[in-house]
Amino acid sequence: MARRPVNPPAEGWSLTLPPRLWATLSQHLFRADGGAHGAVLLAGYAEGPRGPRLLARDLIIADEGADYIPGQYGHHALAPSFVRNAVLRARDEHSAYLAVHAHHGLDQVQFSRIDLASHQRGYPSLRQISGQVVGGLVLTPHAAAGDLWLPDGSRAQLAETVIPSGNLMRLRPSPAGEGRCDPQHDRQARMLGDLGQETLNRLRVAVVGLGGVGSVLVEELARLGVGELVLIDDETVDRTNLPRLIAAEPEDVGRLKTELAVRNALRANPDVRTVPVTRRVEHPKALAEIARCDWIFLAADGDAARHWVNAAAQQYLIPATQVGVKVPLTAQGEVGQIHTATRLILPGSNCLWCCRLIDPTRLAIDMQPAAERKAADYVPGVPAPSVITLNTLAAAEALNHFVLATAGLHQDESDHASVIHRPRTRQRDLQDPRHDPDCRWCTNAGHLGRGDDRKPV
Amino acid sequence: MTSLVPAVAEAVDAVRAHFAGHPVEAVADGTGGAFVTVEDVPISACFTPAATWLGFHISSAYPDADVYPHYVGQVSRSDRQPHGQAISPTTWRDRPALQISRRSPRRDPAIDSAALKAERILQWLAAQ
Repeated sequence: MARRPVNPPAEGWSLTLPPRLWATLSQHLFRADGGAHGAVLLAGYAEGPRGPRLLARDLIIADEGADYIPGQYGHHALAPSFVRNAVLRARDEHSAYLAVHAHHGLDQVQFSRIDLASHQRGYPSLRQISGQVVGGLVLTPHAAAGDLWLPDGSRAQLAETVIPSGNLMRLRPSPAGEGRCDPQHDRQARMLGDLGQETLNRLRVAVVGLGGVGSVLVEELARLGVGELVLIDDETVDRTNLPRLIAAEPEDVGRLKTELAVRNALRANPDVRTVPVTRRVEHPKALAEIARCDWIFLAADGDAARHWVNAAAQQYLIPATQVGVKVPLTAQGEVGQIHTATRLILPGSNCLWCCRLIDPTRLAIDMQPAAERKAADYVPGVPAPSVITLNTLAAAEALNHFVLATAGLHQDESDHASVIHRPRTRQRDLQDPRHDPDCRWCTNAGHLGRGDDRKPV
Repeated sequence: MTSLVPAVAEAVDAVRAHFAGHPVEAVADGTGGAFVTVEDVPISACFTPAATWLGFHISSAYPDADVYPHYVGQVSRSDRQPHGQAISPTTWRDRPALQISRRSPRRDPAIDSAALKAERILQWLAAQ
Protein backbone atom coordinates (compact mmCIF):
# COMPACT_ATOMS: atom_id res chain seq x y z
CA MET A 1 0.00 0.00 0.00
CA ALA A 2 1.13 3.57 -0.67
CA ARG A 3 2.66 5.46 2.23
CA ARG A 4 0.13 7.22 4.42
CA PRO A 5 0.21 11.02 4.03
CA VAL A 6 1.86 12.92 6.85
CA ASN A 7 -0.51 15.53 8.24
CA PRO A 8 0.62 18.12 10.78
CA PRO A 9 -1.61 18.65 13.82
CA ALA A 10 -4.79 20.54 12.91
CA GLU A 11 -6.77 23.11 14.85
CA GLY A 12 -10.22 22.14 16.04
CA TRP A 13 -12.02 19.00 17.14
CA SER A 14 -10.00 15.79 17.06
CA LEU A 15 -10.65 12.13 17.70
CA THR A 16 -7.93 9.85 19.12
CA LEU A 17 -8.06 6.08 18.81
CA PRO A 18 -5.88 3.71 20.86
CA PRO A 19 -3.83 1.51 18.50
CA ARG A 20 -5.55 -1.76 19.51
CA LEU A 21 -8.96 -0.23 18.88
CA TRP A 22 -7.81 1.13 15.49
CA ALA A 23 -6.46 -2.33 14.58
CA THR A 24 -9.78 -4.00 15.43
CA LEU A 25 -11.78 -1.32 13.66
CA SER A 26 -9.55 -1.48 10.57
CA GLN A 27 -9.86 -5.24 10.43
CA HIS A 28 -13.63 -4.93 10.58
CA LEU A 29 -14.07 -2.11 8.10
CA PHE A 30 -11.35 -2.66 5.50
CA ARG A 31 -12.00 -6.24 4.52
CA ALA A 32 -11.02 -7.81 1.24
CA ASP A 33 -14.69 -8.61 0.56
CA GLY A 34 -15.28 -4.95 -0.29
CA GLY A 35 -18.55 -5.13 1.58
CA ALA A 36 -20.13 -2.50 3.82
CA HIS A 37 -19.46 -2.71 7.52
CA GLY A 38 -20.32 -0.47 10.42
CA ALA A 39 -19.61 0.13 14.07
CA VAL A 40 -20.07 2.63 16.86
CA LEU A 41 -17.32 4.27 18.89
CA LEU A 42 -17.89 5.58 22.39
CA ALA A 43 -15.49 8.34 23.37
CA GLY A 44 -14.52 10.38 26.40
CA TYR A 45 -13.70 14.09 26.30
CA ALA A 46 -10.73 16.28 27.07
CA GLU A 47 -9.38 19.70 26.21
CA GLY A 48 -6.41 19.46 23.88
CA PRO A 49 -3.61 21.80 22.82
CA ARG A 50 -5.50 22.82 19.65
CA GLY A 51 -9.13 22.24 20.53
CA PRO A 52 -11.52 19.72 22.08
CA ARG A 53 -10.58 16.06 21.89
CA LEU A 54 -12.74 12.96 21.67
CA LEU A 55 -10.99 9.93 23.19
CA ALA A 56 -12.25 6.65 21.72
CA ARG A 57 -12.53 4.14 24.54
CA ASP A 58 -14.88 1.44 23.31
CA LEU A 59 -15.79 -0.07 19.98
CA ILE A 60 -19.17 -1.72 19.36
CA ILE A 61 -18.99 -3.77 16.21
CA ALA A 62 -22.18 -3.99 14.15
CA ASP A 63 -22.67 -7.56 12.95
CA GLU A 64 -23.59 -7.67 9.31
CA GLY A 65 -27.12 -8.76 8.70
CA ALA A 66 -28.18 -8.22 12.29
CA ASP A 67 -26.88 -4.81 13.37
CA TYR A 68 -25.84 -3.47 9.94
CA ILE A 69 -28.68 -3.96 7.52
CA PRO A 70 -29.76 -2.75 4.07
CA GLY A 71 -30.86 0.85 4.51
CA GLN A 72 -34.18 2.38 3.62
CA TYR A 73 -32.50 5.42 2.06
CA GLY A 74 -29.04 4.21 1.20
CA HIS A 75 -26.80 1.19 1.00
CA HIS A 76 -26.63 0.08 4.61
CA ALA A 77 -27.59 1.44 8.00
CA LEU A 78 -27.22 0.57 11.64
CA ALA A 79 -30.26 -1.31 12.91
CA PRO A 80 -32.53 0.76 15.18
CA SER A 81 -32.11 -1.61 18.13
CA PHE A 82 -28.32 -1.45 17.79
CA VAL A 83 -28.42 2.34 17.67
CA ARG A 84 -30.74 2.52 20.66
CA ASN A 85 -28.52 0.30 22.81
CA ALA A 86 -25.39 2.19 21.82
CA VAL A 87 -26.82 5.64 22.40
CA LEU A 88 -28.17 4.65 25.81
CA ARG A 89 -24.70 3.47 26.73
CA ALA A 90 -23.35 6.81 25.54
CA ARG A 91 -25.85 8.57 27.76
CA ASP A 92 -25.14 6.41 30.81
CA GLU A 93 -21.37 6.51 30.41
CA HIS A 94 -21.19 10.23 29.53
CA SER A 95 -19.53 9.31 26.24
CA ALA A 96 -19.73 10.66 22.73
CA TYR A 97 -21.46 8.40 20.19
CA LEU A 98 -19.87 8.09 16.76
CA ALA A 99 -21.29 5.87 14.04
CA VAL A 100 -18.47 4.62 11.82
CA HIS A 101 -18.34 3.22 8.33
CA ALA A 102 -15.84 3.07 5.50
CA HIS A 103 -15.70 4.27 1.93
CA HIS A 104 -13.55 3.05 -0.90
CA GLY A 105 -10.49 5.08 -1.69
CA LEU A 106 -7.30 5.89 0.13
CA ASP A 107 -6.01 9.39 0.74
CA GLN A 108 -9.32 11.29 0.61
CA VAL A 109 -12.79 10.69 2.03
CA GLN A 110 -16.01 12.62 2.49
CA PHE A 111 -19.56 11.87 3.49
CA SER A 112 -21.94 11.12 0.65
CA ARG A 113 -25.21 13.02 0.23
CA ILE A 114 -26.99 9.93 1.54
CA ASP A 115 -24.74 9.91 4.63
CA LEU A 116 -25.39 13.59 5.36
CA ALA A 117 -29.11 13.18 4.87
CA SER A 118 -29.15 10.33 7.38
CA HIS A 119 -27.28 12.53 9.87
CA GLN A 120 -29.98 15.20 9.47
CA ARG A 121 -32.70 12.64 10.05
CA GLY A 122 -31.23 10.84 13.02
CA TYR A 123 -28.66 12.84 14.95
CA PRO A 124 -30.84 15.58 16.47
CA SER A 125 -32.88 13.01 18.36
CA LEU A 126 -29.84 10.91 19.30
CA ARG A 127 -28.24 14.06 20.64
CA GLN A 128 -31.33 14.82 22.66
CA ILE A 129 -31.53 11.29 24.09
CA SER A 130 -27.87 11.05 25.03
CA GLY A 131 -27.06 14.64 25.96
CA GLN A 132 -23.63 13.93 24.46
CA VAL A 133 -21.73 14.66 21.25
CA VAL A 134 -23.24 12.50 18.53
CA GLY A 135 -21.81 12.11 15.06
CA GLY A 136 -20.64 10.15 12.11
CA LEU A 137 -17.15 9.09 11.12
CA VAL A 138 -16.22 7.84 7.64
CA LEU A 139 -12.85 6.22 7.06
CA THR A 140 -10.40 4.90 4.54
CA PRO A 141 -7.07 3.40 5.64
CA HIS A 142 -5.45 6.84 5.12
CA ALA A 143 -8.23 9.38 5.63
CA ALA A 144 -11.04 10.28 8.03
CA ALA A 145 -13.93 12.73 8.06
CA GLY A 146 -16.26 13.39 10.95
CA ASP A 147 -19.55 15.25 11.36
CA LEU A 148 -20.16 16.16 15.00
CA TRP A 149 -23.49 17.24 16.44
CA LEU A 150 -22.76 19.02 19.70
CA PRO A 151 -24.98 19.12 22.82
CA ASP A 152 -25.37 22.90 22.55
CA GLY A 153 -27.14 22.47 19.22
CA SER A 154 -24.19 23.44 17.04
CA ARG A 155 -22.32 21.29 14.57
CA ALA A 156 -18.60 20.86 13.91
CA GLN A 157 -16.34 19.01 11.55
CA LEU A 158 -13.62 16.74 12.83
CA ALA A 159 -10.28 18.36 11.98
CA GLU A 160 -8.25 15.18 12.43
CA THR A 161 -8.26 11.60 13.68
CA VAL A 162 -5.13 10.61 15.56
CA ILE A 163 -3.82 7.09 16.10
CA PRO A 164 -0.74 7.05 18.37
CA SER A 165 0.77 3.76 17.26
CA GLY A 166 4.27 2.86 16.06
CA ASN A 167 3.82 5.95 13.92
CA LEU A 168 1.89 8.95 15.19
CA MET A 169 -0.79 8.84 12.50
CA ARG A 170 -3.04 11.80 11.76
CA LEU A 171 -5.88 11.28 9.32
CA ARG A 172 -7.74 14.14 7.65
CA PRO A 173 -10.49 14.22 5.01
CA SER A 174 -7.78 15.06 2.49
CA PRO A 175 -4.01 15.37 2.77
CA ALA A 176 -2.55 18.60 4.10
CA GLY A 177 -1.15 20.93 1.51
CA GLU A 178 2.53 21.70 1.19
CA GLY A 179 4.35 21.95 4.47
CA ARG A 180 5.74 25.19 5.82
CA CYS A 181 8.95 25.17 7.80
CA ASP A 182 11.79 27.44 8.76
CA PRO A 183 14.73 27.24 6.31
CA GLN A 184 17.05 26.59 9.26
CA HIS A 185 15.47 23.13 9.53
CA ASP A 186 16.17 22.38 5.86
CA ARG A 187 18.57 19.53 6.57
CA GLN A 188 16.04 17.83 8.89
CA ALA A 189 13.19 18.44 6.46
CA ARG A 190 15.13 16.55 3.79
CA MET A 191 14.58 13.41 5.89
CA LEU A 192 11.29 14.24 7.62
CA GLY A 193 9.64 16.06 4.73
CA ASP A 194 8.32 19.59 5.05
CA LEU A 195 5.12 18.20 6.54
CA GLY A 196 7.07 16.10 9.03
CA GLN A 197 9.04 19.17 10.09
CA GLU A 198 5.86 21.23 10.33
CA THR A 199 4.42 18.47 12.51
CA LEU A 200 7.29 18.88 14.96
CA ASN A 201 6.81 22.64 14.94
CA ARG A 202 3.20 22.25 16.03
CA LEU A 203 3.61 19.65 18.75
CA ARG A 204 3.31 20.26 22.46
CA VAL A 205 5.70 17.94 24.28
CA ALA A 206 6.26 17.44 28.00
CA VAL A 207 9.54 16.44 29.62
CA VAL A 208 9.01 15.12 33.14
CA GLY A 209 12.29 15.21 35.02
CA LEU A 210 15.00 17.67 34.01
CA GLY A 211 18.06 15.85 35.32
CA GLY A 212 20.70 14.14 33.22
CA VAL A 213 18.39 12.41 30.74
CA GLY A 214 15.78 15.20 30.72
CA SER A 215 18.44 17.79 30.03
CA VAL A 216 19.50 16.00 26.83
CA LEU A 217 15.87 15.55 25.77
CA VAL A 218 15.11 19.26 26.19
CA GLU A 219 18.18 20.34 24.25
CA GLU A 220 17.42 18.09 21.31
CA LEU A 221 13.66 18.63 21.26
CA ALA A 222 14.25 22.38 21.09
CA ARG A 223 16.81 21.99 18.29
CA LEU A 224 14.44 19.68 16.41
CA GLY A 225 11.97 22.57 16.35
CA VAL A 226 9.27 21.19 18.66
CA GLY A 227 6.79 24.02 19.08
CA GLU A 228 6.06 23.96 22.80
CA LEU A 229 7.87 22.31 25.70
CA VAL A 230 6.28 21.67 29.08
CA LEU A 231 9.17 21.31 31.54
CA ILE A 232 8.43 19.63 34.87
CA ASP A 233 10.78 19.27 37.84
CA ASP A 234 10.75 20.63 41.37
CA GLU A 235 14.44 20.25 42.13
CA THR A 236 17.40 22.58 42.15
CA VAL A 237 20.79 21.95 40.58
CA ASP A 238 23.27 20.21 42.84
CA ARG A 239 27.04 20.36 42.35
CA THR A 240 27.09 16.65 41.56
CA ASN A 241 24.59 17.25 38.70
CA LEU A 242 26.93 19.57 36.77
CA PRO A 243 28.73 16.89 34.74
CA ARG A 244 25.40 15.66 33.32
CA LEU A 245 23.34 18.81 32.73
CA ILE A 246 23.69 20.31 29.28
CA ALA A 247 25.39 23.74 29.38
CA ALA A 248 25.31 23.83 33.19
CA GLU A 249 27.86 26.05 34.91
CA PRO A 250 29.09 26.22 38.51
CA GLU A 251 26.97 29.36 39.01
CA ASP A 252 23.86 27.22 38.32
CA VAL A 253 24.23 25.33 41.60
CA GLY A 254 21.12 26.11 43.63
CA ARG A 255 19.19 27.26 40.55
CA LEU A 256 15.91 25.56 39.66
CA LYS A 257 16.29 22.86 37.03
CA THR A 258 13.29 24.35 35.20
CA GLU A 259 15.20 27.63 34.88
CA LEU A 260 18.17 25.83 33.35
CA ALA A 261 15.90 23.89 30.99
CA VAL A 262 14.12 27.06 29.80
CA ARG A 263 17.44 28.81 29.27
CA ASN A 264 18.81 25.92 27.24
CA ALA A 265 15.65 25.50 25.18
CA LEU A 266 15.52 29.18 24.24
CA ARG A 267 19.21 29.31 23.44
CA ALA A 268 18.78 26.29 21.17
CA ASN A 269 15.59 27.64 19.56
CA PRO A 270 14.42 31.19 20.37
CA ASP A 271 11.03 30.41 18.83
CA VAL A 272 10.17 27.54 21.19
CA ARG A 273 7.40 28.20 23.70
CA THR A 274 8.23 26.94 27.17
CA VAL A 275 5.92 26.14 30.07
CA PRO A 276 8.04 25.56 33.18
CA VAL A 277 6.27 23.79 36.06
CA THR A 278 8.41 23.77 39.17
CA ARG A 279 6.47 20.98 40.82
CA ARG A 280 6.53 17.24 41.01
CA VAL A 281 4.41 15.65 38.30
CA GLU A 282 1.68 14.56 40.72
CA HIS A 283 0.88 18.18 41.54
CA PRO A 284 -2.46 19.21 40.00
CA LYS A 285 -0.80 21.98 37.96
CA ALA A 286 1.66 19.53 36.39
CA LEU A 287 -1.05 16.95 35.75
CA ALA A 288 -3.22 19.57 34.04
CA GLU A 289 -0.34 20.52 31.74
CA ILE A 290 0.64 17.00 30.69
CA ALA A 291 -2.99 16.12 29.99
CA ARG A 292 -2.86 18.70 27.17
CA CYS A 293 0.28 17.43 25.46
CA ASP A 294 0.85 15.51 22.24
CA TRP A 295 3.71 13.44 23.69
CA ILE A 296 5.26 12.96 27.12
CA PHE A 297 8.86 12.03 27.86
CA LEU A 298 9.30 10.51 31.30
CA ALA A 299 12.85 11.09 32.46
CA ALA A 300 12.25 11.13 36.20
CA ASP A 301 13.08 8.34 38.58
CA GLY A 302 10.43 7.21 40.97
CA ASP A 303 7.22 5.28 41.01
CA ALA A 304 5.07 8.40 41.38
CA ALA A 305 6.35 9.85 38.11
CA ARG A 306 5.81 6.50 36.39
CA HIS A 307 2.29 6.18 37.76
CA TRP A 308 1.10 9.65 36.80
CA VAL A 309 2.64 9.69 33.34
CA ASN A 310 1.17 6.24 32.69
CA ALA A 311 -2.16 7.56 33.99
CA ALA A 312 -2.06 10.48 31.55
CA ALA A 313 -1.13 8.18 28.67
CA GLN A 314 -4.07 5.87 29.37
CA GLN A 315 -6.71 8.34 30.52
CA TYR A 316 -5.95 11.00 27.90
CA LEU A 317 -4.68 8.72 25.10
CA ILE A 318 -1.30 10.46 24.89
CA PRO A 319 1.79 8.53 23.75
CA ALA A 320 4.71 8.63 26.15
CA THR A 321 8.27 7.39 26.30
CA GLN A 322 9.91 6.35 29.52
CA VAL A 323 13.67 6.83 29.39
CA GLY A 324 15.99 5.46 32.01
CA VAL A 325 19.45 4.21 32.83
CA LYS A 326 20.41 1.66 35.44
CA VAL A 327 23.94 1.03 36.65
CA PRO A 328 23.63 -1.69 39.27
CA LEU A 329 26.35 -2.13 41.87
CA THR A 330 26.98 -5.22 43.95
CA ALA A 331 27.35 -4.95 47.70
CA GLN A 332 31.09 -4.92 47.06
CA GLY A 333 30.72 -1.94 44.72
CA GLU A 334 31.32 -3.85 41.49
CA VAL A 335 29.48 -2.67 38.38
CA GLY A 336 26.82 -5.12 37.16
CA GLN A 337 24.97 -5.31 33.83
CA ILE A 338 24.41 -1.68 32.84
CA HIS A 339 21.26 -1.11 30.83
CA THR A 340 19.37 1.76 29.27
CA ALA A 341 15.66 1.41 28.71
CA THR A 342 13.43 3.26 26.28
CA ARG A 343 9.87 2.14 26.87
CA LEU A 344 7.01 3.25 24.70
CA ILE A 345 3.80 3.81 26.69
CA LEU A 346 0.84 3.80 24.33
CA PRO A 347 -2.86 4.19 25.10
CA GLY A 348 -4.22 0.73 25.73
CA SER A 349 -0.83 -0.94 25.47
CA ASN A 350 2.59 -0.92 27.09
CA CYS A 351 0.93 0.17 30.32
CA LEU A 352 3.52 0.41 33.08
CA TRP A 353 1.21 -1.37 35.54
CA CYS A 354 0.74 -4.26 33.12
CA CYS A 355 4.50 -4.41 32.64
CA ARG A 356 4.93 -4.47 36.44
CA LEU A 357 7.17 -1.44 36.38
CA ILE A 358 5.37 0.31 39.24
CA ASP A 359 5.52 -1.01 42.79
CA PRO A 360 2.51 -0.10 44.98
CA THR A 361 4.61 0.27 48.14
CA ARG A 362 7.32 2.35 46.50
CA LEU A 363 4.52 4.43 44.99
CA ALA A 364 3.10 5.06 48.45
CA ILE A 365 6.52 6.15 49.69
CA ASP A 366 7.15 8.33 46.68
CA MET A 367 3.80 10.06 47.10
CA GLN A 368 4.62 11.18 50.63
CA PRO A 369 5.43 14.86 51.12
CA ALA A 370 9.18 15.53 51.06
CA ALA A 371 9.59 15.68 54.82
CA GLU A 372 7.95 12.27 55.34
CA ARG A 373 9.36 10.56 52.24
CA LYS A 374 12.87 10.01 53.52
CA ALA A 375 11.70 8.73 56.87
CA ALA A 376 9.13 6.44 55.24
CA ASP A 377 11.81 4.66 53.20
CA TYR A 378 12.57 1.82 55.57
CA VAL A 379 15.61 0.78 53.59
CA PRO A 380 16.79 4.12 52.28
CA GLY A 381 18.35 4.28 48.83
CA VAL A 382 21.80 5.58 48.04
CA PRO A 383 22.63 7.81 45.06
CA ALA A 384 22.91 5.62 41.98
CA PRO A 385 25.83 5.85 39.56
CA SER A 386 25.06 8.19 36.66
CA VAL A 387 27.12 9.05 33.58
CA ILE A 388 26.27 11.49 30.77
CA THR A 389 27.23 9.10 27.98
CA LEU A 390 24.66 6.54 29.15
CA ASN A 391 22.04 9.26 29.53
CA THR A 392 22.75 10.36 25.97
CA LEU A 393 22.42 6.78 24.68
CA ALA A 394 18.99 6.38 26.30
CA ALA A 395 17.79 9.84 25.25
CA ALA A 396 18.95 9.34 21.65
CA GLU A 397 17.03 6.06 21.34
CA ALA A 398 13.89 7.79 22.63
CA LEU A 399 14.27 10.88 20.47
CA ASN A 400 14.97 8.98 17.26
CA HIS A 401 11.87 6.89 17.84
CA PHE A 402 9.84 10.05 18.46
CA VAL A 403 11.12 11.87 15.37
CA LEU A 404 10.52 8.88 13.09
CA ALA A 405 7.05 8.33 14.59
CA THR A 406 5.95 11.92 14.04
CA ALA A 407 7.11 11.83 10.41
CA GLY A 408 5.51 8.43 9.76
CA LEU A 409 8.85 6.84 8.98
CA HIS A 410 8.68 3.65 11.07
CA GLN A 411 8.25 0.75 8.73
CA ASP A 412 6.17 -1.41 11.07
CA GLU A 413 3.40 0.55 12.79
CA SER A 414 2.54 -2.41 14.98
CA ASP A 415 6.04 -2.50 16.50
CA HIS A 416 5.58 -1.14 20.01
CA ALA A 417 8.54 -2.88 21.59
CA SER A 418 10.72 -1.28 24.21
CA VAL A 419 14.42 -1.05 23.54
CA ILE A 420 17.03 -2.17 26.02
CA HIS A 421 20.71 -1.43 25.47
CA ARG A 422 23.31 -3.40 27.40
CA PRO A 423 26.49 -1.50 26.64
CA ARG A 424 28.86 -3.80 28.48
CA THR A 425 27.94 -6.66 26.14
CA ARG A 426 27.07 -4.40 23.16
CA GLN A 427 23.53 -5.77 22.95
CA ARG A 428 20.38 -4.04 21.79
CA ASP A 429 17.23 -6.01 22.59
CA LEU A 430 13.57 -5.46 21.88
CA GLN A 431 11.09 -6.26 24.62
CA ASP A 432 7.41 -6.77 23.81
CA PRO A 433 4.94 -5.41 26.34
CA ARG A 434 2.64 -7.38 28.64
CA HIS A 435 -1.08 -6.70 28.82
CA ASP A 436 -3.40 -7.46 31.72
CA PRO A 437 -6.97 -7.73 30.38
CA ASP A 438 -8.26 -6.60 33.80
CA CYS A 439 -5.95 -3.60 34.14
CA ARG A 440 -7.48 -0.63 35.99
CA TRP A 441 -5.75 1.80 33.66
CA CYS A 442 -5.35 0.62 30.08
CA THR A 443 -8.70 -1.08 29.48
CA ASN A 444 -12.10 0.40 28.72
CA ALA A 445 -13.40 -1.04 32.00
CA GLY A 446 -10.77 1.14 33.67
CA HIS A 447 -9.48 4.61 32.96
CA LEU A 448 -8.72 4.24 29.22
CA GLY A 449 -10.00 7.26 27.32
CA ARG A 450 -11.97 8.69 30.27
CA GLY A 451 -10.35 12.07 29.77
CA ASP A 452 -11.73 14.79 31.99
CA ASP A 453 -14.58 12.59 33.16
CA ARG A 454 -12.18 11.08 35.71
CA LYS A 455 -9.81 13.76 36.82
CA PRO A 456 -6.53 12.35 38.20
CA VAL A 457 -6.90 14.80 41.08
CA MET B 1 -5.99 23.77 49.27
CA THR B 2 -6.81 20.88 46.90
CA SER B 3 -9.63 18.74 48.29
CA LEU B 4 -9.49 14.95 48.48
CA VAL B 5 -9.81 12.98 45.27
CA PRO B 6 -12.92 10.74 45.25
CA ALA B 7 -11.02 7.50 45.90
CA VAL B 8 -9.32 9.01 48.96
CA ALA B 9 -12.55 10.54 50.27
CA GLU B 10 -14.20 7.12 49.97
CA ALA B 11 -11.28 5.49 51.75
CA VAL B 12 -11.48 7.99 54.60
CA ASP B 13 -15.21 7.32 54.95
CA ALA B 14 -14.48 3.59 55.10
CA VAL B 15 -11.86 4.16 57.81
CA ARG B 16 -14.36 6.20 59.82
CA ALA B 17 -16.93 3.44 59.46
CA HIS B 18 -14.42 0.73 60.43
CA PHE B 19 -13.24 2.65 63.48
CA ALA B 20 -16.68 3.89 64.49
CA GLY B 21 -16.59 5.29 67.99
CA HIS B 22 -13.00 6.50 67.65
CA PRO B 23 -12.09 10.04 66.64
CA VAL B 24 -10.77 10.00 63.06
CA GLU B 25 -9.05 13.08 61.67
CA ALA B 26 -8.29 13.46 57.96
CA VAL B 27 -6.11 16.38 56.85
CA ALA B 28 -5.69 17.11 53.14
CA ASP B 29 -2.10 16.83 51.92
CA GLY B 30 -2.46 19.43 49.17
CA THR B 31 -2.41 17.03 46.19
CA GLY B 32 -5.67 15.16 46.73
CA GLY B 33 -4.53 12.74 49.43
CA ALA B 34 -5.00 12.79 53.19
CA PHE B 35 -3.14 12.24 56.44
CA VAL B 36 -5.43 10.11 58.60
CA THR B 37 -5.19 9.71 62.35
CA VAL B 38 -7.37 7.38 64.41
CA GLU B 39 -7.22 8.13 68.13
CA ASP B 40 -7.38 5.82 71.10
CA VAL B 41 -7.09 2.49 69.28
CA PRO B 42 -6.59 -0.55 71.52
CA ILE B 43 -3.58 -2.69 70.60
CA SER B 44 -2.87 -5.26 73.29
CA ALA B 45 -2.16 -5.55 77.00
CA CYS B 46 1.37 -6.52 75.95
CA PHE B 47 2.06 -2.87 75.31
CA THR B 48 2.16 0.16 77.53
CA PRO B 49 -0.04 2.01 77.05
CA ALA B 50 -2.43 -0.60 75.72
CA ALA B 51 -4.15 1.88 73.43
CA THR B 52 -2.68 4.61 71.27
CA TRP B 53 -3.21 6.55 68.06
CA LEU B 54 -2.74 5.12 64.56
CA GLY B 55 -1.71 7.31 61.64
CA PHE B 56 -1.13 6.86 57.90
CA HIS B 57 -1.10 8.68 54.59
CA ILE B 58 -3.58 7.85 51.83
CA SER B 59 -2.09 9.38 48.69
CA SER B 60 -3.95 10.58 45.61
CA ALA B 61 -2.54 7.52 43.82
CA TYR B 62 -4.66 5.24 46.04
CA PRO B 63 -5.91 2.56 45.46
CA ASP B 64 -3.08 1.81 43.05
CA ALA B 65 -0.65 2.96 45.73
CA ASP B 66 -0.41 0.97 48.94
CA VAL B 67 -0.96 2.66 52.28
CA TYR B 68 2.53 2.56 53.76
CA PRO B 69 3.98 2.97 56.28
CA HIS B 70 1.84 3.26 59.40
CA TYR B 71 2.57 5.12 62.61
CA VAL B 72 1.50 4.63 66.21
CA GLY B 73 2.33 6.39 69.45
CA GLN B 74 5.60 5.46 71.11
CA VAL B 75 4.34 2.48 73.09
CA SER B 76 6.72 0.13 74.96
CA ARG B 77 6.53 -3.62 75.29
CA SER B 78 5.32 -4.65 78.71
CA ASP B 79 8.07 -7.30 78.83
CA ARG B 80 10.59 -4.45 78.31
CA GLN B 81 12.10 -6.19 75.30
CA PRO B 82 13.09 -4.02 72.30
CA HIS B 83 10.69 -3.77 69.41
CA GLY B 84 11.33 -6.18 66.56
CA GLN B 85 12.03 -5.64 62.90
CA ALA B 86 9.84 -3.26 60.92
CA ILE B 87 9.21 -1.08 63.98
CA SER B 88 11.41 1.99 64.39
CA PRO B 89 11.17 5.22 66.40
CA THR B 90 10.52 8.39 64.43
CA THR B 91 8.42 11.55 64.40
CA TRP B 92 5.23 11.82 62.38
CA ARG B 93 3.49 15.13 61.89
CA ASP B 94 5.23 16.54 64.95
CA ARG B 95 4.26 13.58 67.14
CA PRO B 96 6.79 11.12 68.56
CA ALA B 97 5.91 7.87 66.87
CA LEU B 98 6.84 4.33 65.98
CA GLN B 99 6.98 3.64 62.25
CA ILE B 100 5.54 0.27 61.24
CA SER B 101 6.88 -0.74 57.86
CA ARG B 102 4.80 -3.64 56.57
CA ARG B 103 4.42 -4.03 52.83
CA SER B 104 1.44 -5.69 51.18
CA PRO B 105 2.80 -8.18 48.66
CA ARG B 106 0.26 -9.42 46.10
CA ARG B 107 -1.87 -6.36 46.84
CA ASP B 108 -5.16 -6.13 44.98
CA PRO B 109 -6.38 -2.51 44.69
CA ALA B 110 -9.95 -3.73 44.32
CA ILE B 111 -9.86 -5.49 47.71
CA ASP B 112 -7.04 -4.17 49.88
CA SER B 113 -8.52 -1.01 51.29
CA ALA B 114 -6.93 1.49 53.65
CA ALA B 115 -9.32 0.41 56.42
CA LEU B 116 -8.48 -3.26 55.92
CA LYS B 117 -4.77 -2.58 56.01
CA ALA B 118 -5.08 -0.46 59.15
CA GLU B 119 -6.83 -3.36 60.85
CA ARG B 120 -4.18 -5.82 59.67
CA ILE B 121 -1.41 -3.56 60.98
CA LEU B 122 -3.03 -3.44 64.39
CA GLN B 123 -3.43 -7.20 64.42
CA TRP B 124 0.20 -7.66 63.40
CA LEU B 125 1.37 -5.28 66.10
CA ALA B 126 -0.67 -7.06 68.74
CA ALA B 127 0.90 -10.36 67.69
CA GLN B 128 4.50 -9.10 68.19
